[in-house]
Amino acid sequence: MGVGHLQRKLRRIFNVPKKGENSEFRTGLVSQYSDERKDTIQRVIAAMTVGKDVSSLFPDILKNIATHDLEQKKLVYLYLMNYAKTNPELCILATNTFVQDTRDPNPLVRALAIRTMGCIRVDKMVDYLCIPLKETLNDDNPYVRKTAAICVAKLFDLNSKLCTEQGFIDTLLEMLDDSNQTVVANAISALLEISKMSDAKLLNVNGVILKRLLLTLNECTEWGRISILVALADYDTQDSGEVEKIVEKVTPQLQHENPAVVLSSIKVILKQLEKVSSDTRERMLRRLTSPLCSLLTNPPEIQYVALKNIRIILEKYPQILARDLQAFFIKYSDPLYLKLEKIDILVRISTKENASILLSELREYAMDVDIQVVNRAIEAIGQLSIKIESISKKAVDILYELYLNRSSYVLEELVVVIQNILRRYDTKYLPTVITVIADLNFDDIDTPEAVSSYIWILGQYCKEIPHLEDRLKVMSEQFGEMDPLAQSSALTCIVKVNLTKSSANTRQLLQKILNKATNEIENADVRDQAYIYWRVLSTDDKALQKKIIMRKLPTLETTIETFSPGLLDQLINEISNLGSVFYKPSSAFIKPKYSDSAFVNKKKLQSRKLEELQQMAKTEIVQNAARAENLLDFEDSDIENEDEGTPEFQDAETKEDDVKNPTANANQILDELSDLFAGMSTQTPAQKAGNKGPQKNNDILGPF
Amino acid sequence: MGSVFSSMFNRLWGGKKEIRILILGLDGAGKTTILYKLQLGEVVKTKPTIGFNVETLKYKNIAINMWDLGGQTSIRPYWRCYYADTAAVIFVVDSTDKERMVVAKKELHTMLKEDELSDSALLVFANKQDQPGAMTAAEVSKALGLAELKDRSWSIVSSSAIKGEGLTEGLDWLIDVIKEEQM
Repeated sequence: MGVGHLQRKLRRIFNVPKKGENSEFRTGLVSQYSDERKDTIQRVIAAMTVGKDVSSLFPDILKNIATHDLEQKKLVYLYLMNYAKTNPELCILATNTFVQDTRDPNPLVRALAIRTMGCIRVDKMVDYLCIPLKETLNDDNPYVRKTAAICVAKLFDLNSKLCTEQGFIDTLLEMLDDSNQTVVANAISALLEISKMSDAKLLNVNGVILKRLLLTLNECTEWGRISILVALADYDTQDSGEVEKIVEKVTPQLQHENPAVVLSSIKVILKQLEKVSSDTRERMLRRLTSPLCSLLTNPPEIQYVALKNIRIILEKYPQILARDLQAFFIKYSDPLYLKLEKIDILVRISTKENASILLSELREYAMDVDIQVVNRAIEAIGQLSIKIESISKKAVDILYELYLNRSSYVLEELVVVIQNILRRYDTKYLPTVITVIADLNFDDIDTPEAVSSYIWILGQYCKEIPHLEDRLKVMSEQFGEMDPLAQSSALTCIVKVNLTKSSANTRQLLQKILNKATNEIENADVRDQAYIYWRVLSTDDKALQKKIIMRKLPTLETTIETFSPGLLDQLINEISNLGSVFYKPSSAFIKPKYSDSAFVNKKKLQSRKLEELQQMAKTEIVQNAARAENLLDFEDSDIENEDEGTPEFQDAETKEDDVKNPTANANQILDELSDLFAGMSTQTPAQKAGNKGPQKNNDILGPF
Repeated sequence: MGSVFSSMFNRLWGGKKEIRILILGLDGAGKTTILYKLQLGEVVKTKPTIGFNVETLKYKNIAINMWDLGGQTSIRPYWRCYYADTAAVIFVVDSTDKERMVVAKKELHTMLKEDELSDSALLVFANKQDQPGAMTAAEVSKALGLAELKDRSWSIVSSSAIKGEGLTEGLDWLIDVIKEEQM
């Protein structure tokens, strides 16, 4: 005993601790002093938040979960949420404490426990979640109830079947009558979340629930309001009276401090307005103007989101902000992304009345120090001049002025804009344009769009262009290095010139360019285009050539981008969601877990494909084997060659058997294959028997 | 760094040092009942422990951290996470469960083979003595092969958690051994 004791003492002394931060943590976590343990937990969490991997400490952290110290409990829970996925098996050890904590006298602990249990997304936990969840859903404390409500949605995500079977969804529906507004709001958001996941409409808003929702709206937290507003937006109103009631209750929310509430409210109103007469709609739309403008008093990031949403709304109701042009003027302190977005909105809300104010504003922007702003402003001036004819003269004057004070970087955008103006007003501003073009050379511009526009102008207005042939010569020299876009324009240009203002020089250039295009250019489109032109030009019918090539283009109506009508309706639904910023319906970038029919189909398709492949492989092997059998009858030496043709499922042993007992060969392979596939395939034995049936082996058919 | 100092001060001024004791055993042996009988002095209604219970109890001026680990087959593999720095193990046996005595023996010996437990004392509670047909402590000792244990302080005490018999006697012995070992 004495010796053993001494040994132990010695062992303890010489037991050198391992080095490294994690082992230091580990020692601290199992310390015999509770202060030291807590302190270590804090340091572990600190390490976790800066991204160090402390997942290996999981079991040791877990030991500290049972504590009456709320602070320590929170830290341990935080750790568990973060690393539960990496140690799913060990999570089960925390269950007992979780369940105990959901019965703690302190409601904060109860809520914390059920919240964390929901966040630990580990299958094994699910079984133990139901009882505490049921208890907390019926808790006396509203804080616990509202936390538990959200937990139901999390459980549904993990195991929808269990969640439905245990009647949690019904409990949520009952919770809509809860005396506490936050609980109601959370129940709604949980229901909406579950509806989204399962693609089933769980929250059937009717008159009673609607009343309840509208009542709750004013009293719950901002995030609760958003859930309610989402529910209201989806509500299919029965008559215009209901719409008015909803709009009336939602309108005060437009003044809310939280922009998400404002945007959600706007969405509700926009969605419900589709169901009322146009008079009422006009009247109600006017209420949206000032909330939309006041969204621009938020920080830049939020302004950006607001502008993206405004863009969608403007496309649906272009007149809505016509009187508030000034609100969207650029401030010198705006970040670039905001400036660009604002210019976009400005052009969209411009009308005949405010266009000239906007034009002088844009002229200022075009003298900004930032190249991107300048280019965007020039583009905007072009868009404006095309959108509103009455100010087009002024716009062209401004563009010309900008050209005169030119800095090299405005030219490229300018050329593109000029082309658009020509396509809209044809020869109306041609004299101004020609003065610009007369001074412009290929060396001044670089981007494919600008070069292409320049070349288009040369071809279209070749009669008016001074020194045309020199320019064309440069064009033909540079043809090889151009972007396909510009090459294509160049081809058209030279053909047009030859049809309108042909000379020996231009004919030579035409020949040169066509040669180059058909022989040296790799781009198939450009080459094909060259061939087509060549073919057309080979005909002698000049009139026909002109008819084909010199066709007048349709007048350009607008250069402002629009959404396709289907997309616009979808985007109205996405207001205040991420989809509104991407201009994509959320389904395009979020895949619903359960409902996506495409996903299900794909899976089905895959399994069917697999079955087909299995079947094909089986047939092939059987056939090969049968062939080998036939060959055996004639010539033994051919077997080996023939065997090479059979797929590699066969091993050497069976090959030997093949030779010895050819008749059993096919049978045996088939059996083996069936065994092989049995593991993989989802077919029932009966089906398998059916598959075997039609094949040529009578022995197998026997037992059936 | 501050933490190092604070823990040093703790040690110097006799801050609350806690002794770790594990309560192990097959499921349904009565571990949780023993724990709460010792801590609260009353019999609580228990459910199978998925995970663990831990309670701190003052006994003879020593703070003991009692870890009651779940005994279900699925949880037994995780016992080993708790072995480090354990002063003693209390192994609880359901004396009426003759069939599973073999399993209990196997679990016990596997556990004792662990390096981390080589210094720990072992106390076996032959529990549920209040029930008819319970094996005596001697019989349990034989069934568990306790005599084979070498180089370890061990003891077996017959107990009834429901009645509270034998628990303090066992614990007294255990504390004495721990004191001798650690001080």
